[in-house]
Amino acid sequence: MHSITLIQGILLSVMAIICGFDFWLEALYIFRPIIVCTLTGLILGDLHTGLLAGGLTELAFAGLTPAGGTQPPNPILAGVMATVIAHTSSLNVAASLGLALPFSFLMQYIILFYYSAFSVFMSKAEKYADEADVKSFGKLNILMILIVGLTYGVVVFLCTYIAQEPMKVLVASMPVWLSHGFGIAGYILPAVGFGLLLKIMLRLEFVPFLIIGFIFASFVHFSNLLPVALIGTALAIYTYFNDKSKVSTTSAVTNMGAGDDDNDGI
Amino acid sequence: MTMTESNNKLSKHDITKLAFRTVFLQSSFNYERMQAGGWLYSMLPSLQKICGKDKERLSQCMKDNLGFINTSPPLVGFLMGLIVSLEENNEDRSLINGIKVALFGPLAGIGDAIFWFTILPIVAGVCASFANQGSVLGPIIFFLIYCGIFALRIVWTHLGYDTGVKAIGNLQENSKSVSKAASVLGVTVIGALIASYVKIIVLSKISIGGGHSISIQADFLDKILPNILPFGYTFLMYYLLKKKNINPTLLILFTFVGAIILSFLGVL
Repeated sequence: MHSITLIQGILLSVMAIICGFDFWLEALYIFRPIIVCTLTGLILGDLHTGLLAGGLTELAFAGLTPAGGTQPPNPILAGVMATVIAHTSSLNVAASLGLALPFSFLMQYIILFYYSAFSVFMSKAEKYADEADVKSFGKLNILMILIVGLTYGVVVFLCTYIAQEPMKVLVASMPVWLSHGFGIAGYILPAVGFGLLLKIMLRLEFVPFLIIGFIFASFVHFSNLLPVALIGTALAIYTYFNDKSKVSTTSAVTNMGAGDDDNDGI
Repeated sequence: MTMTESNNKLSKHDITKLAFRTVFLQSSFNYERMQAGGWLYSMLPSLQKICGKDKERLSQCMKDNLGFINTSPPLVGFLMGLIVSLEENNEDRSLINGIKVALFGPLAGIGDAIFWFTILPIVAGVCASFANQGSVLGPIIFFLIYCGIFALRIVWTHLGYDTGVKAIGNLQENSKSVSKAASVLGVTVIGALIASYVKIIVLSKISIGGGHSISIQADFLDKILPNILPFGYTFLMYYLLKKKNINPTLLILFTFVGAIILSFLGVL
């Protein structure tokens, strides 16, 4: 039976900020439970519990990946809380992992909220791009990283030092329709992004290809987009040769003039 | 060889720096455009060097590299190196966009398959077994392997850049046709992206008495055409953006609030 000291709470919070940056950027994978639990164990002076919790939580989370755009329960909060609960209670690491899950879900919802909320910053980004304002654009990106990192720090400090019980109640009392609603919004919002892409790229002559890609992906099961890209490539090659033969027959004369403008001087 | 040098504003050192900058790919991740902001932020120093004092060109480059993108962070260097080489040679804008849009999806698929579904389970499994025995080797090996994977980003970025430089000679001869072909490829992939990323599933059922009910999604919408709602909603967004010139932020808020209300009502 141990309790968390203020110093430990602060150190855990700092660790969570650093791992939180890495979670957001997916750079060095120090956000995975096996690393988070080990560091938590080190801070608590209980490396052995950290390693055991790390091994177990890592395996439990090996299948929970953000691949394909879905956000799984949060690995950092799961790792921190599984280790903290095992250290402060007399429970074994498996039971601690179960108790850690609500915290993991809480952080998952916060991240999902940010994924939606940060969409709002994109109009600002668009404005800076329009003005070629490199400095402000950089600041905007750094701001978002900082918001995420600091949130990790605050949440971990609250969960480990201030209050474990009230947080559990909060997570449990979140109505299903609200968390479900966050999830649904996450699945529909890409439509706005694709709408923007189509605004740039779609011309009437390309509509058939949009339909082909859509229908193929709707009816044929595949694990990644490579097959569609290959169909797209086939259509692209066909278009290329079709277009080239048309150009070469109709504008052979104009081509000669245009050739002089080439900078290579071949 | 000497002929291409006049166009080269980026040194080998710049490309290596770009590889390290790929770390920012997800810095402004959001559901509207996913990695768009981070993609541009990673490339900014390179783009600045390419455009020099030409503010107008820099603005155009920035705007064009702020479109929806979602790809594999460990592999993005390849695509970024390739795109930077095209930007450096001032290729046609629709060609650059087409190649970017066409490649990010497959690259994401390959990256997910390799890094999330193959390497992670294997490395995690081995390292967790060390940790379960109380050995600190588990987390240490895990960390070293992922440092190695990060270092490989340098290799991918140079590979992408070199590929682009070599391809440019061929591209220039028929750039109009190539642009059109790239757009065809891009639009085909967007069609597939709509079907695989946007999900709208109606939960409502119509009771027809005697304890039976008809599911609107399974018995009605899916019978007409799978993914008909995602396609319809994306086109509604396209219509509002293109023809009505509505601000994307407004559409995001509308979608977000709508999703929560429909979740509350039990429709979605």
